Amino acid sequence: MSMGNQIKKTLADLQDFYLLSINCILKLFKRPFYFDDIIEQMEYSGSASVFIVSLVCLFVGMALSLQLSAELSGLGLKMYTGKIVGIAVIREIGPLVTALVFIGRVGAGQTAEIGSMILGNQIDTLRVYGIDPIKKIVIPRVIASVLMLPCLTIIGDLVCLIGGYYIAVFMSNQSGSFYWSSIIEDLTFQNVFSGTIKPFIFGYLISCISCFYGLTTRGGAKGLRTSTTKAVVTSIVTVIATDFILTRILFYALGFNV
Amino acid sequence: MIVFDNVWFSYREREVLKGVSFTANFDERLAVLGESGVGKTTILKLILGLINPDKGKIIIDGTDITQLNEEEIIPIRRKFSIVFQEGALFDSLPVKENVAFFMRELLKLPDEEIYRRVRELLRRVGVEDAEELMPEELSGGMHRRVAIARALAVGKTKMFLYDEPTAGLDPVNSERIMVLIKDLADKENIGFMIITHVIYVAWQLCNRFIFLKEGQIIFDGNKDELIKTDISAVKDFIKELFFRI
Repeated sequence: MSMGNQIKKTLADLQDFYLLSINCILKLFKRPFYFDDIIEQMEYSGSASVFIVSLVCLFVGMALSLQLSAELSGLGLKMYTGKIVGIAVIREIGPLVTALVFIGRVGAGQTAEIGSMILGNQIDTLRVYGIDPIKKIVIPRVIASVLMLPCLTIIGDLVCLIGGYYIAVFMSNQSGSFYWSSIIEDLTFQNVFSGTIKPFIFGYLISCISCFYGLTTRGGAKGLRTSTTKAVVTSIVTVIATDFILTRILFYALGFNV
Repeated sequence: MIVFDNVWFSYREREVLKGVSFTANFDERLAVLGESGVGKTTILKLILGLINPDKGKIIIDGTDITQLNEEEIIPIRRKFSIVFQEGALFDSLPVKENVAFFMRELLKLPDEEIYRRVRELLRRVGVEDAEELMPEELSGGMHRRVAIARALAVGKTKMFLYDEPTAGLDPVNSERIMVLIKDLADKENIGFMIITHVIYVAWQLCNRFIFLKEGQIIFDGNKDELIKTDISAVKDFIKELFFRI
């Protein structure tokens, strides 16, 4: 494909993605409402993801605490491990790591499922009988992602902090009560708000991107592989870029000093 | 009535249909034939308004559907019952829920009535024992039968559309599906359009044949005209028929 055509295709894709994202919001309050589908998707993307999110966050928390303990003890500041782990996890690492796990488990699954429905003419079957695939298939997934990712992030944060506690107390010989009290000290409105607003936006973006690539799947098994890969890569880049932009905006809005 | 008036369609840079024109009545038994990739399924998707042509008009019952949006086209689509290639069953639902799906979504019937109708439809297509099975547990023939039951579930329509109804089936199951298609058309007294590359299936079921080659209609006629045609591409295609009939 020539450069010109590639640019044209990218712009057309961006336009389609924009339309899908807007449509999700516009159709959200229009009948019919598919509550059963929303509950089913919440179960799949939420409760079924708790174990994998917890496992990843546990190791991330332990690794972070280990790195910080080692560096801070050289400076004689080992007692600040809890404080720094707390701020890093609540504001940044918890939401980001949970979102990345969510992309791999839920986002990729959404693309593969919808892509396979496209290839098997199931989406066309819905359209033939007048059922809007955006309302029946996309919106329940987007709502479930927007609601479940923040819940998973809170669980992920907690497990991350527990992982950090284990290393700080049992390997770095720090005081457990001091570790927790320095974290509780950091549970200010600014820190908690900055960490909990992000997952709502990440959930919306991940689900819209995944559903978009699912709906644009063409060309059999190879096409499905391509769209799933694209969905995962695009979601990762978008989430990380959005994280930076949101952090910058939140720093400004909440009055953090840089 | 279905009218295709100089319809052009392309997938990106590949032109699939180049000025296709034909007219068909809802009570006809029509076959659209041609090699794989000539645009047979594209015609079916255009009739249902699932894709829009680049040029030309598609008129269904007097309405140019190329001018309609997704909501306006729903009443047009409801004039047809469609059985997609390989059935297009929802693979996360068991057979009975697949058949019940549109009754629940569109007709809003109580569960008791839905399941009574589901059992009746499955008995009618000969897969009454499969209601608890998942689609992946069905054979190819059963898949098509369940898809036909699902298409029947939403009530009487004006025309059945079948996309490669016997593709991938063994001769015994192909024969069973052909008998079922004919039986349904006779009992419901409605016509059908079959998209197929198997001339024998078309010959057994239909009385009008449209041949596509390189995006254009090269033949449109009845059984007599088909047998007597001089068009070499069509003659090559129907050679198999002379061995079987």
